[in-house]
Amino acid sequence: MSPVLPIPLVQALQVATIAAAAPVVSGVIAKVEARLQGRAGPRILQPYYDLGKLFRKEALAPEGASWVFLAAPLAAMTCYLTVPLLIPVLTTFGLPLGYMGDILGGGFILALASFLVAVAALETGSPYAQLGASRAKTFGAITEPVILFVVFAVALITGTDLPYALAATVRSSASQIVRPAHLLAAAALFMVILYETGRIPVETHTGTNEFGMIEEARPFEHSGPYFAVLKWGSAMKQLILYTILINVFVAPWGLAASAQLGAVALAIVALVAKACGLGVVVAFIDNTFAKLRLFKITEFASAAFLLAVLGVFTLYLGGG
Amino acid sequence: MTVAATVAPPGVLPGTANVIAVGVLLLEFGMFRQALLRDQVRLYAAQSALISVLALVVAVARHLPDLYVLAGLSFALKVVIVPLVLRRLLRGLGERGEGPGWTDIAGSGSLSLASTVLLAIGVAAFGVFSVAALGLRSPVLPGTALAISMAVVLVSFVLMIMRRDVASQAIGFFSLENGVSLTSLVVAAGLPLILEVVFLFDLLVAALVFGLLIRVHHGRVDSLSTAELTSLRG
Repeated sequence: MSPVLPIPLVQALQVATIAAAAPVVSGVIAKVEARLQGRAGPRILQPYYDLGKLFRKEALAPEGASWVFLAAPLAAMTCYLTVPLLIPVLTTFGLPLGYMGDILGGGFILALASFLVAVAALETGSPYAQLGASRAKTFGAITEPVILFVVFAVALITGTDLPYALAATVRSSASQIVRPAHLLAAAALFMVILYETGRIPVETHTGTNEFGMIEEARPFEHSGPYFAVLKWGSAMKQLILYTILINVFVAPWGLAASAQLGAVALAIVALVAKACGLGVVVAFIDNTFAKLRLFKITEFASAAFLLAVLGVFTLYLGGG
Repeated sequence: MTVAATVAPPGVLPGTANVIAVGVLLLEFGMFRQALLRDQVRLYAAQSALISVLALVVAVARHLPDLYVLAGLSFALKVVIVPLVLRRLLRGLGERGEGPGWTDIAGSGSLSLASTVLLAIGVAAFGVFSVAALGLRSPVLPGTALAISMAVVLVSFVLMIMRRDVASQAIGFFSLENGVSLTSLVVAAGLPLILEVVFLFDLLVAALVFGLLIRVHHGRVDSLSTAELTSLRG
């Protein structure tokens, strides 16, 4: 019988797991992607070294940029540290702060972080960062209806839009998984996640500058620790979104049913393993499809919208 | 934590039927995007295969021996023979034409793809909810599949209207027949076999006629597009 952890500690561990494991998930994706392309690829732990290097460097701000430019990365990081409190990262049961906000609440906080980064990009006066910010907001508005319809589907299935409730419903029986509404909503959410994390077919996730860049263009003017915080934040956002897809929609198994040390440790390992598994799928998609032209991204968004809307339709008909 | 689901999940058979019906509808939407004649025909074959699988599922679950025959026949005709006939009829079209782009039907939509999809979602919603409002009950399959089959029929109309190339219009017509097959599977799975077979062979004739029309059209204007057919325009 392993010792029982105090609940606040478990809650803190949710945040710590996301923060600590986010770079390794990015590292695994980069490694797998490189292997699929026949390259040796960077070390899996390379993102940590990158962050360490950036934290030791000097921070510079463009001339004329106000305090917003420097505050935004930290404020965005705060948002990314808040969301893991709301979603089932490690436990099947809701933690005390887990009911502060529902899926929409988590979505709002992520949107706030993205907005702050965009504001900082506008603050720089650099046309390239501004272009990225403007594009990110434009396409973000297009994917917003998809998220709404996914939330509607969840709400119709569970009668609430708490992520813990949907995870519990999915775990309850196999027929909850193969129902069309659930499959369609999960597929739509996955497409949105591909967009939000800047993956093919929306955006290439590499450091090279190019015209099609959206999310990756925004932190162009940041440097040193601020840039590190932004990079770390975007890795955390990726892991948060993966966690929502995995632990709420696709595979909510392996979570701790109690606050025992062994169960929680197992849940941490399971989460990282599942996120890496999803990362391998994403890397595979990255290597299979071509990047869409900028004005074709609406087609991608409309396909995701179609899936989400059909999910809600089937629910309304009583057969979803 | 136990939470009562507000919309209970359908059972195994209705769930499978609904997933297949939704798959048919999604493939119908996929036809808005295909850029090559060959891929369009393949998509139609895949859609027909889904219909045959559904017939097989219903046959097994409801013990309707007629449906085994129907599933086999519709697979043979719609997945193998009709695509084969179309491909045979359209082979060699390009050798006289100008270069390898002859089967290119990309961008033949009269609206942008995203707008077309939104329009089609609206039309599909109309079909789905108007059929749901009728409150039809089928002893064989869930009403959801019926509503979705109506959406397939209506979306195939949108496909035929919005894409201005003869190939997509022909495939739209064939997939309309797939939607009707889906409907007949839901409401009248016990429809006399001979009637179903008549429909299927009708389709074969249609495939021949459309194949010839496409050839004639291509021979006249040297493209699959119908955008140039403007000589009667006032």
